[in-house]
Amino acid sequence: MGKLAVIDGGLFTTVQDEGRFGFRKYGVPVSGVMDNSAFELVNSLVGNAPDTPVLEMTLKGGRYRFESDSVIAFAGANMNPTVNEKSVELNSTLKISAGDILEFEYARRGCRCYLGIRGVWEIEKILGSYSTYNEGNFGGIEGRNLQKGDQLHWKEIQADFQSYTLSQKEIPYYSSKLTVEFIPGPEWNWLSKKEQDKFLSTEFKISSESNRMGIRLNSDFQIEAKSKEMVSSGVIPGIIQLPPNGSPILLMKDGQTVGGYPRIGKVLDIHLNRVAQVPPNGTIRFKKSD
Amino acid sequence: MALGSLHLNGISWSVFRLGETAWLLQPKVSEKILEHVHSTSDLLEQSKIDGLQDIIPAYDSITLIYDSQFKYDPDILSDISSSTEQHLSREKNIFEINVCYELGIDWNEVEVKTGLSKEEVISIHSIQNYTLAMMGFMPGFIFLDGLDQRIAVSRKEKPRIKVPSGSVGIGGNQTGIYSLESPGGWQIIGRTTESFFDVKKTPPTELKAGDKIRFKPISNEEFDKVVAKNG
Repeated sequence: MGKLAVIDGGLFTTVQDEGRFGFRKYGVPVSGVMDNSAFELVNSLVGNAPDTPVLEMTLKGGRYRFESDSVIAFAGANMNPTVNEKSVELNSTLKISAGDILEFEYARRGCRCYLGIRGVWEIEKILGSYSTYNEGNFGGIEGRNLQKGDQLHWKEIQADFQSYTLSQKEIPYYSSKLTVEFIPGPEWNWLSKKEQDKFLSTEFKISSESNRMGIRLNSDFQIEAKSKEMVSSGVIPGIIQLPPNGSPILLMKDGQTVGGYPRIGKVLDIHLNRVAQVPPNGTIRFKKSD
Repeated sequence: MALGSLHLNGISWSVFRLGETAWLLQPKVSEKILEHVHSTSDLLEQSKIDGLQDIIPAYDSITLIYDSQFKYDPDILSDISSSTEQHLSREKNIFEINVCYELGIDWNEVEVKTGLSKEEVISIHSIQNYTLAMMGFMPGFIFLDGLDQRIAVSRKEKPRIKVPSGSVGIGGNQTGIYSLESPGGWQIIGRTTESFFDVKKTPPTELKAGDKIRFKPISNEEFDKVVAKNG
């Protein structure tokens, strides 16, 4: 049996997997990893099934003691990972011994780092998923972020597998100035031509109030939609909502299932992985997808 | 901007693209919108369409979300239409829900804003049959259609950080139930003895959009008795 003890959970660390599907009609958001490509990479680096959960660390990772020999990997934001105070590589399969201390600092580049551990994690599935949904207090470890004293357990996998390291040119570069493509949403035409142009030419700043529910975007100008009556209707991660204050919100994985604000667009899923890696005060521009 | 329209379950719907694998349907009717949304959501669910992951019924729309392996194909719309030709009418479940109005925490504000006494508000609120319009905002949050406009009350100036589970509230011209403890800005007028929502069960609730709901006022003593019995 594999085991890890949490010495320090870091700023905001949760257990996540692909997400929770089929329950949105009950108001249950999908949750799941914010950066799907880094998630897939860590599970591949440790030879896990693709639906194995990982730890998602935000802005500052934690400190962990391994109580068993383990195979691990991390990908995503570079948080200066060290094992027993010696620097170790991201994007690479690593072997670690019982008693080793793994530690992460503040992200130097990117925003979220994923820790994968080879094994079958022993966590209860809630509505078909391991993902933590903090606002609902369920999933992962007691529905909350990791804290000192928590433990993770997993069944070891005996089969052989191939360790590897990602080549330098395959490692994504996380820019804090991003341009993402979007599909116009059902209410895109509630913006006049002038407001649409304003939206397309503005560089929005990511507010520090952003979280797994949504990325809040600020700018010097407010974007104005025609004031029409709108009743709550379905939304999904990637939807750009425009509240009456004129500052758009980009819904992310813990975002609610219905919303009453105009949906001016939907950011392409492949670009949402990059959005997840932009830290607060980074910027985003929007480009209409062909 | 609508992509087009389709005929489904006896009426015409506007179709919007919501994402790479998500579509939004809005009924092109002016009456019984909710009924069309609910019966068509049921129909789509029973049709077990390949790759259809989530269906979100709301007040005037149905959102269809396919899994990410699904490739965009305009024919999907006519496929939905041809796979669901017959009209379906579901036996509506009627739930009677016990509410202890004594446990309301916003009675002062509700009395002032409606100009009615607490007893009058309770009698108006509990005489009505409501339709479960949709769930959302938070897991298991229940939006009910059918509030008597005499007891419509604007939301609180400052939302509460925590509203207890089972709270019954009025927010504008809507009424509803907070199944789970959550933040919220509705005026709380009572509490139910159950939460109706348990994430450890699949599905997490017996309730469904389209169900009918009636509130039965109970006293503090009855509330305590039921809660103690349920453990």
